[in-house]
Amino acid sequence: MSTEDSRFPDRPLPRGTGQAILPPVELEIAPSEQVRLLYSLSDPTLSELELDEFLDELLARVQEALSVDTVAILLFDEASQQLVARAARGLEEEVERGVRIPIGRGFAGRIASERVAIFIADVDHADILNPILGQRGIRSLLGIPLIVEGSLIGVLHVGSLTPREFGQTDLAVLQVAAVRAAPGIERAQLLSALRHEQRVAMVLQRSLLPKQLVEAVGVSVGARYVPASDEVGGDWYDMFELDGGRLGIAIGDVVGHGLRAAALMGQLRTALQAYALQGADPGRTLVLVDRFVQALPDFAMATAAYAVLDPDTGRVRVASAGHLPPLVVGGDTPRVVELIPAPPLGAFPYGHCSEHETTLAPGETLVFYTDGLIERPGIPLTQSIEAMLELLGGQTSVDDLCHLAIQQLVPVEGLRDDVALIAIQNSPVPDELMLEFPAEPRVLSEARRALRRWLRHVGADRDQAAEITLAASEACANAIEHAYSPAPARFTLHARAHAGEVTLTVRDGGQWREPRGEHRGRGLTIMKAAMHEVEANSSSRGTEIVMRRRLHP
Amino acid sequence: MNLGDVQFTRRAGMLVAELTGEIDLSNAESVGQAIAETTSNLDAGVVLDLSALRYLDSAGIQFMFRLREQLRTRGQSFALVIPAQSASNDALRLAGVTLHVETFETQRDALRSAAADRDDG
Repeated sequence: MSTEDSRFPDRPLPRGTGQAILPPVELEIAPSEQVRLLYSLSDPTLSELELDEFLDELLARVQEALSVDTVAILLFDEASQQLVARAARGLEEEVERGVRIPIGRGFAGRIASERVAIFIADVDHADILNPILGQRGIRSLLGIPLIVEGSLIGVLHVGSLTPREFGQTDLAVLQVAAVRAAPGIERAQLLSALRHEQRVAMVLQRSLLPKQLVEAVGVSVGARYVPASDEVGGDWYDMFELDGGRLGIAIGDVVGHGLRAAALMGQLRTALQAYALQGADPGRTLVLVDRFVQALPDFAMATAAYAVLDPDTGRVRVASAGHLPPLVVGGDTPRVVELIPAPPLGAFPYGHCSEHETTLAPGETLVFYTDGLIERPGIPLTQSIEAMLELLGGQTSVDDLCHLAIQQLVPVEGLRDDVALIAIQNSPVPDELMLEFPAEPRVLSEARRALRRWLRHVGADRDQAAEITLAASEACANAIEHAYSPAPARFTLHARAHAGEVTLTVRDGGQWREPRGEHRGRGLTIMKAAMHEVEANSSSRGTEIVMRRRLHP
Repeated sequence: MNLGDVQFTRRAGMLVAELTGEIDLSNAESVGQAIAETTSNLDAGVVLDLSALRYLDSAGIQFMFRLREQLRTRGQSFALVIPAQSASNDALRLAGVTLHVETFETQRDALRSAAADRDDG
């Protein structure tokens, strides 16, 4: 406990009957022991600790320096105007129970409101609010306010289980600890608030970006999001299905950083998709999103581009609200899509946003990006865009393209701004189609889309493509519906063209069953009517339907 | 996105069901059920409009026939609107359905015919 003999003889603090308010004291010349103790409080390695560790370590050193039984730090919560127990030694239950002391009341409350040190020689005769102090058997208390640049941060107090006369030196040591602790606490609080915001923003950002991209027949898609080095921003990309098998592709960039930008990004992404799903064209969609931004209570600004792609034809309509122009790469003529952008969203209300139409040849890729990817101090944007076109122009794989863009364009030292990138390719059409599907009805429309696309590629006209697709879909439906037990299973659709004749083979692992009822008979009728030849082969290993149709008489 | 969709209006005492998108094995039953549930016994009958439908297969044809049977037992009429140039006409033509079922080019034709039948009856 008290090691009076080894300590500098201390002048006692003035003691009142209850508690005494003390003026600040000068630390008197200290012997080596005290230098060591003081140094232990000023140890620079303390600064590297997170708040909780920092406080624990500091309190341990105060406890040792003053040979006290209890040490506690209560932090000032501005919102509730209360002191909240944050760290303690010998008084852990104070923190565990989350003790809160109103400013101005009791021992700690008065230290905080009057911003003075208070010494209580005998707890029994003092105005103590916190019952834990009494329950713990504390006899004497000494506490001081923690103040940084005139602002109250909290209260630090020490206690003794035996009656104790705290001296001037005790107070001075406590003051050194307080001076040491207060800025550290403030910095740690700011840091942890900042880190907290960063964490929240990061989680928010991730939750707002699509978890996985839509898989659709005839397209390959890739996307990347790279946060800035120090905080998240408001970049986003999106892709969703529209009716008729068309795809919506969006990208955007909310001006600003942090939680607010990330939250706004989420709103804009949702708004854009909602308008798009309502059937609005790209230009109209952006006009509506602009109105949405205008109606937000706080001023906000963002750029965005939105495109609708028809994978069956490769036709794509693009509109931009202040966003950088997309690229078309991977084909014979890599190019920047020359569009006339409307003003950024939120800049001012506008009634029109023009659209640009282009066609992606099979193999070509449309690339949207945000300015973080190419903005470099001192280099004109057009020059950066040309450089990116040069870099990505020959890329025929979406994955490679995304990888290359991030690897080559994101500086090693990190980004000042976040980056979003989305690329969608009108996939090359293979000469021979080989598809495998789970035997579930939902795959039928996908199978039809893939087949239609292929049929046009091999020269079928519109009517031929429609009839052949119908026959193939009936054969696939047959494989799904009748060839299986309810256990999971798969089937394949194989299509090839030779000498003006298309051959389709639908193969499954189930047993052929004679058509049941009017409905199945009708499916077979359709197959026979649409194709020149239909044959069904069944074996113990499965069933295959082979159908042929000449495209030219 | 829904593969296929159905929208209802009531005209001249008939429930008009307009189909859009694609109807196949994956959604034929639910679309058929939606139409059956929306038909009230106050409706004189149902006009099924396939003009805007992009795809129809044998599963869709089956639901149409089932619907026609359900309506007939309740004394309600059934009419199909299928323009000759519509996509769904393919399946009906190839399945031989158009030979056996009366179809109309437009909703107006179907509604007029239904009204005339009622006047006759």
